[in-house]
Amino acid sequence: MIEEKEKRGLTISLCIPTLNEEKTIGKEVVLFKSELVDRYPLLDEIAVIDSGSTDRTIEVAASFGASVYLSADILPQMGFKRGKGENLWKAIYQLQGDIIVYVDADIKNIHPRFVYGLVAPLIYRPEIKYVKAFYDRPLALSKEIRPSGGGRVTEILVRPLFSLFFPELTAIIQPLSGEYAVRREILERIPFPVGYGVETSHLIDVYDGWGIEAFAQTDLDKRVHRHQATRDLGKMSFGILRTFLKRLKSKGIIKDLPELTPFLRQFQAREDHYEQIIHEIVEEERPPMIEVPEYRARRGLE
Amino acid sequence: MSANLVETDNFEQIRDRVRKLPFELEKYRELLLANVIMLGEIPAPTFHEQERIHLLEQRFNECGLQNCSIDEKGNGAAIIPGKRGDTTILLTAHADTPFPASLDHTLTLEPDRIVGPGIADNSLGIAVLATLPTMLEGLGIRLSSDILLMGAVKSLNEGNQEGLRFFLSNAERPITAALAVEGVQLGRLNYRSRASLGGEIACVADNAHEEVSALDVLNQIIYRLRKIHLPQESETRLILGYIEGGVTYKTPARKARLKFQLSSDSDQTIIDITEKIDSVIHELSKEYRVNIDFNIIARTRYGGLDPQHFLVLQARRVLTTLGIHPGSNAYSSVISGFVENEIPAMCVGITTGENLNYPDERIDISPIMKGVAQLIGLLLSIDGGCCAGHQ
Repeated sequence: MIEEKEKRGLTISLCIPTLNEEKTIGKEVVLFKSELVDRYPLLDEIAVIDSGSTDRTIEVAASFGASVYLSADILPQMGFKRGKGENLWKAIYQLQGDIIVYVDADIKNIHPRFVYGLVAPLIYRPEIKYVKAFYDRPLALSKEIRPSGGGRVTEILVRPLFSLFFPELTAIIQPLSGEYAVRREILERIPFPVGYGVETSHLIDVYDGWGIEAFAQTDLDKRVHRHQATRDLGKMSFGILRTFLKRLKSKGIIKDLPELTPFLRQFQAREDHYEQIIHEIVEEERPPMIEVPEYRARRGLE
Repeated sequence: MSANLVETDNFEQIRDRVRKLPFELEKYRELLLANVIMLGEIPAPTFHEQERIHLLEQRFNECGLQNCSIDEKGNGAAIIPGKRGDTTILLTAHADTPFPASLDHTLTLEPDRIVGPGIADNSLGIAVLATLPTMLEGLGIRLSSDILLMGAVKSLNEGNQEGLRFFLSNAERPITAALAVEGVQLGRLNYRSRASLGGEIACVADNAHEEVSALDVLNQIIYRLRKIHLPQESETRLILGYIEGGVTYKTPARKARLKFQLSSDSDQTIIDITEKIDSVIHELSKEYRVNIDFNIIARTRYGGLDPQHFLVLQARRVLTTLGIHPGSNAYSSVISGFVENEIPAMCVGITTGENLNYPDERIDISPIMKGVAQLIGLLLSIDGGCCAGHQ
């Protein structure tokens, strides 16, 4: 794989977006650096882009040899927005690779395959633009059906929406997985929601621009991560739905959409009464990086 | 043999080299930690170490070692060729851990420690084997002797060091000396083995005919075992380590099981007491009309190096040079396999740690390179001839 990468003159950057991930970031950095930089030089760059952690994430990542950037320090003139999508977008400016691999920082069972499994289709198949991870680890294969392994938000929200409006995208087994590798030429041309909707919007925009043929999927076997509470999944679903509806409108699929509120209302029970909690979830969007003058200057674009 | 005989020009050279090693080894820290994580996250309960050994073997192959192979018991071995290669030093670590494959083997890496099942016993030890070839090559250290690296399977508990015993009794080349690597504790210096017997007593009561609880029978067995005289002159000890039995509080237990260890400074004492245990079981079996089985699950022999052996003295010097305080306990069951094959051997630990054999087992990162430096110092000492003619 490395020979092929060098033959094609490709460079690969790994971006790990973080916010308070001191428990898992050290292991990710050590494994990727040792196995995929020192032992097998597949990666040209490992960068942690942090949203302002208040724990030891930055210290731990740096102590194990990662380049650490504060999201707020990248393109400071464009301001700082809190959200994973912001870090992913700023990585396009900060990192040098022709391919950028994004891997979440909260994976407990991290392994080099999380990177080499994602970049392999991009190295060997020039027509592939965007590689998405999925996770499937059957203990025994029989003729019986088994679940595809998608999370609750995938199965309850995203897959029904794709089925209704973008049926071809239902081929993506786990559309919300946070692990994917993408060619720069694609990344710099798509907008980035800064919050929960970034993965969903990527799929819609890449599909819209380059077709379903641009996608590949890799089975990364198993992913062990934090279990999220249902209430948090509600917030995630709200953000995704806002992004999704915005895409439908911008693509002319639906027209008369009312102004969408950024407020999600949830209930919680306390003793003998219910109380309402209101979350403000703003799904701001960053423009395609290629439209940012500083980026064009940095990359030497006309 | 007096200690000052060891103070040779040869050791002074080794001492100068060893002093610098912890600093020089720091650049291999990430490489070692990555190997610890990748090997340690593969479950390897005793008798099921294959996947871990395969990764070890892959590492040996990547380092370009010679004779990379997995033997019929499942041990993984390879050779770092020496300049002359006319003698062989065995460096071994057991690959198995006491945790079932069903337990989550995810390790957590923190800036100053690693936490997770089996990390100390013995994922770190096996990772040192996997990383040492790269370290030695990078440091420009090539011994005259061949170094035979061997990840041993079927070591713990009922495994009874089956892998190591098989390897030693079938080794094609004579082994000058052996070093066994354990994750913890840094400073341990074990070079002798006590005589011991690991036993399991299983009691099965047939409740269809008698309302006898297997727990009552086991209670009687324990009472009678405690009545057996244990000679103090040979420091004989009986440890009752594990007990289980029954399924509910409502009915007499049909099955009960006890595991124990008998240890002594005399092989004959173990034999004598084993006969007495046999008698106890025979009598109680008749008295209660139940089946009682007595199985031997592990055995070690008394022996090992004399405290004044060159290797022991040299090892103390190496540890002291690195600022490691050598522990006073000379005994470990790990040494028994070598005693049986008359191979001078020593067991050392790589770092400090705690919660051994619990799922939140942990090791400290900062002392690790000192532990590895100690290992290289011992290899240099053995290669320099400190085991020649002094078994």
